Amino acid sequence: MKILFALVKKEFLQIMRDPSSIIIAFILPLISVFIYMYGLNLDSPRITMGIKNDNPTPETSTLVKSFGHSKYINSISTDNMKEIEKDIMRSKIRGAVVIPNDFSTKLERGKSADLLIIADGSETNTANYVQNYAMQISNLWLKTSKYKNAMAKQVIEQNSRFWYNPDLDSHHFILPGSIAITMTLIGILLTSLVIAREWERGTMEALLSTSVKPIHIVLSKYIPYFILGMLSLLFNVFLCVVCFNIPFRGNYFVLILVSGLFLFASLGIGLMISTKLKNQFLASLMSIGLGFLPALMMSGFLFPIRSMPLFFRIFTLILPPRHYVTFIESEFMAGSILPIVYVNAIYLSVLGFILFMAVLKNTSLRLEK
Amino acid sequence: MQTVTINNLTKKFNSTVAIDNLSLSIRKGKITGLIGADGAGKTTLLRTMIGLLLPNEGEISVLGFNPVTQKDELNEHIGYMPQKFGLYEDLTVLENLKLYADLKGVEHDFDKMLEFTTLAPFQDRLSGALSGGMKQKLGLACTLLGTPEFLLLDEPSVGVDPISRKDLIKMVKEMITPETTVLWSTAYLDEALNFDEIIVLDKGKSIFMGKPTDLADNTKDFENKVIELMGGFNMETSPIAQDYSEIQTDIEYTVVADNLEKRYGDFYAVKNNSFKIKKGEIFGLLGPNGAGKSTSFKMMCGLAKPTSGTARIMGIDILKEPEKARTNLGYMAQKFSLYGSMTVRQNLEFFASVYGVKNTKEKIKKAISTFNLEEYENQPAEDLPLGFKQRLSMACALIHNPPILFLDEPTSGVDIIVRKEFWVHITSLAQKGVTVMVTTHFMDEAEYCDRISLFYKGQTIAVGTPKELKEKANADNMEDAFITLIKESEK
Repeated sequence: MKILFALVKKEFLQIMRDPSSIIIAFILPLISVFIYMYGLNLDSPRITMGIKNDNPTPETSTLVKSFGHSKYINSISTDNMKEIEKDIMRSKIRGAVVIPNDFSTKLERGKSADLLIIADGSETNTANYVQNYAMQISNLWLKTSKYKNAMAKQVIEQNSRFWYNPDLDSHHFILPGSIAITMTLIGILLTSLVIAREWERGTMEALLSTSVKPIHIVLSKYIPYFILGMLSLLFNVFLCVVCFNIPFRGNYFVLILVSGLFLFASLGIGLMISTKLKNQFLASLMSIGLGFLPALMMSGFLFPIRSMPLFFRIFTLILPPRHYVTFIESEFMAGSILPIVYVNAIYLSVLGFILFMAVLKNTSLRLEK
Repeated sequence: MQTVTINNLTKKFNSTVAIDNLSLSIRKGKITGLIGADGAGKTTLLRTMIGLLLPNEGEISVLGFNPVTQKDELNEHIGYMPQKFGLYEDLTVLENLKLYADLKGVEHDFDKMLEFTTLAPFQDRLSGALSGGMKQKLGLACTLLGTPEFLLLDEPSVGVDPISRKDLIKMVKEMITPETTVLWSTAYLDEALNFDEIIVLDKGKSIFMGKPTDLADNTKDFENKVIELMGGFNMETSPIAQDYSEIQTDIEYTVVADNLEKRYGDFYAVKNNSFKIKKGEIFGLLGPNGAGKSTSFKMMCGLAKPTSGTARIMGIDILKEPEKARTNLGYMAQKFSLYGSMTVRQNLEFFASVYGVKNTKEKIKKAISTFNLEEYENQPAEDLPLGFKQRLSMACALIHNPPILFLDEPTSGVDIIVRKEFWVHITSLAQKGVTVMVTTHFMDEAEYCDRISLFYKGQTIAVGTPKELKEKANADNMEDAFITLIKESEK
């Protein structure tokens, strides 16, 4: 017990003197929260569109005006088709709407009129926005214009409610998701270095000639980084909830419990890498490849898992961050959903335990197997 | 009473035999020296004795325990100091001591230890910021904690100055009990001569076991006897020097230090250092660890910027034209600074190509054979035994036939025969007109130098030929002269 305590104390002193662990645990979350809050936005963007009116009448000019008034659109009026082409090529505008010269005539006669919408198909996402915005605005205009009687009578009245995230604010799920990234970095990147470092600096050989047992070495690595990780979690949650007003609808006890299990599993991955490789450089590369990148790209944090090919959808199931991202996003936005909590808690604790045993088994008291 | 009995021990790494059917015993309560050439199996033997490595064949009994099956019990009774001792460089002196005391389950009572090691004033300093000699003392202090029954020390005095070396021996002798057994691996034969018993290893076999005084009673003869046991030394001419083209230059002083100074805040690492070295001269820079020798070296080859003053290499100012000045230099750094993951051959090829050497193939072949690196040619440099790393560093420094050689502790950790070989190369190269500036902690090597500058606390305290310095100190060997002159300057 005394040995374990001495080793844990030593590890803490090393953490305190090593700026990189403090940076990863506390400065990095601060930076990433700012980036995700102000730099990254997955909400509907404001789009600049060209508008060309070939049929100037009092009615069509109100249509042009309603494009100008929309909060989703920046409209630029023009009367030259060549210019529209050029502006699209230079990405000055993302698309254009052309009102043809027979527009009012056709409507007056009760016929259906054409409206030309041009979008840049090389960016499908933006093209969809251009199309949808133009349709919505022209429909709204039609309702209030003098041609409203020509419109088919609306049988169904649509009423949309967005559950869990009524404002459709993407920050409400990105920020909690970013906690998973920070926790992965602490769990895998920092710890992947710590056992390798002892081998590289020759301290392991000296330790192995004392009465230290494998369980002491392993626990002395788990405990300090677990505490560091949990402190970082609290700091992250504080940033999200208090500083950025991200709504938290779950239960703090459940959040801390499942986060602890996630950290336990991540530490296992990091320490496993460290014991196996005994080399800091390789270990850090490996932990980025095995830990950080999958957490960023395959956890559902940035890219929805549902749009991945089947193989990857199944593959993501073994990744601890994938479970944790699902958990933490629902914990923040929807509250504790028991099935999600159970599945994740059980998976993470089983994985964490297996890894712990594997690390223990691989921590040898000799210089060779 | 025997502390260690070994019967027919064999240890192989893949196909390489490190220890070959070795049988020996080590007597309780004695200090036994372990000496042998680089790669003779000294480190492997120590590691196998305490169960860090497992033997392929044979039996070992240490303090009545079998290290293969009873490693845990055995560990409680031993103190082991590995070659690269496991100090935590980001912990302070005191924190390191506390950690090892807790690991060994002994009280935190370090007063006596700190006083012995003279580390008391530095107890709150990070151990990474200590000088080489201090680090070794701290490592030894951690090993001595809990008064182990059996002490195994793997070359504790490598790279340590003569004064600190004497302190290490004194520490061990005063901190142990009459029952303590010590096994001390060393490259210093004068050290070994003073031990109770010695074991000479060669290629994994023991070639001598017994009292060192059975071989000889003075260092010189003892050295010759050991060399004879290890196969003898008969190199008279250096094959490297033979092929070296004579250095042609009109410059009289090829290396000039002009008021070199390096200051960190209020601390002078090097203060007002001036000297001139003639073409073909061997100039020795001696001094305790932390005196500023390496800093001077680094400034003189343009790796560190002097606070004031400058140096000229072949008349070229190192501050104004560092690249041009450096093409005339072969530099061997104190710390192993080759590419560890590249093989021996790849390192040589790399250095040959950066220096723009012609007929590379031939040169490399020659370098590999003169330094006996054939066996390791395709191994990563980091896996070589210490002495072979030094040989490779020297080979890389010489590959472009530089007119000037800077050698920072070239013989540290190298066995006696190779040390002799190194010096045959150095003196023969000097005869060809190569100017050599060298540092060493082996005082017998200082005798090879034409002139010596004694360096202490950043300043030159004496300059002269070895004879002049000995006369000045009224001593009959360099080691005593060194200690006397340093002590005098303290007054």
